[in-house]
Amino acid sequence: MAISASTSSSTVKTIHVGMGQTAVGDKDTVFTSVLGSCVGVILWHPRLAMGAMAHVVLPASHGQNGQPGKFADTAIPQLIHQLADIGCPRAGLVAKIAGGACMFKGGGPLQIGDDNIAVVRTILHQHGIPLAADDLGGTSGRKVTFECATGRLTVEIAGQRSRVL
Amino acid sequence: MCPTTINRVEVLRPLFAAATHEASAAMCRWTDGVISLTLDDICELPLDQVTAELGFSDDLLTMVVLGIESEPGTVLILTFDDDNARQLAATLTRRERRTDPEWDELEMSALTETGNILGCAYVNALTRLTGQILIPSPPYFLRDYFASVLEQALVEQAMSSDTALICRTGFHREGENLNWHVLFVPSRSLREKLERNVASSSHQRTRK
Repeated sequence: MAISASTSSSTVKTIHVGMGQTAVGDKDTVFTSVLGSCVGVILWHPRLAMGAMAHVVLPASHGQNGQPGKFADTAIPQLIHQLADIGCPRAGLVAKIAGGACMFKGGGPLQIGDDNIAVVRTILHQHGIPLAADDLGGTSGRKVTFECATGRLTVEIAGQRSRVL
Repeated sequence: MCPTTINRVEVLRPLFAAATHEASAAMCRWTDGVISLTLDDICELPLDQVTAELGFSDDLLTMVVLGIESEPGTVLILTFDDDNARQLAATLTRRERRTDPEWDELEMSALTETGNILGCAYVNALTRLTGQILIPSPPYFLRDYFASVLEQALVEQAMSSDTALICRTGFHREGENLNWHVLFVPSRSLREKLERNVASSSHQRTRK
């Protein structure tokens, strides 16, 4: 779970979600992350303005222990659990996902972005959580910012205009 | 880090210091004696804190990346701040420093060749010192968020651990620190081979 947080104003709390971390927050929370082949998974409840984010590194845990946010198959149940802990039910959740690039134009070692995307989609489907927006693939990294208050996911790619999903 | 981990990391320090020394000699020749390198740090960090600990966070950097073909998952990343990278490219190509936001082919080629010379010297030193055959891949130029590139480099280590071993080298120009770095990220398999090799060499020296 992300423990480092910085406050950019008196009310908004910004949490940077690092590799394998998860974080949860209410309407006063903003999540940020930088993603390459990793996939950022955000579950958001529009009516309650509560959200949670995981920085998924690998598709499957294969029973390994470790940070649940690191693997797609353990991260999504973990987010659901963390949201429930702050009073946010699974019913009504939607997902936004970004990342899963093939860095180094696909020529580097262990390209895992596509596998991460596929497993995240499958697990979301298994939990009955609809995908509201995505920005996936390509060959570049992404800097993402998610506002729990509005559900706005801003995606920045080097040399391109930022997009709001 | 637990004491065992600290010892495992420290065991590798002389090896990476020697590789850095050879890379520094190659860099000195390539830049007519202007640029040199020193080993900054070798550390094992929790995956979720790596980018913050290295101090780059979400910076947009110019990088040259080399893999090791015989050791999938091992990556060498050369990072530059833009200003000095463009100055280096200008010096190497004997042109005025360009200010156009887009890098041209010649600038990218100069930086890529720098990465190639430095990376090959570093990797060849590791090969010579350990007997492990390490063959660098062709270098790849990119401008991107440092954290996104590093996380790709860490995928192999992430498969078996929640920590990552990273060796960081700094650059100097005529005694002044530059905001450039070489990050060497060995695969788990290469790390184990290097540790075994260092332990074996140490044992042989003790017997003599």
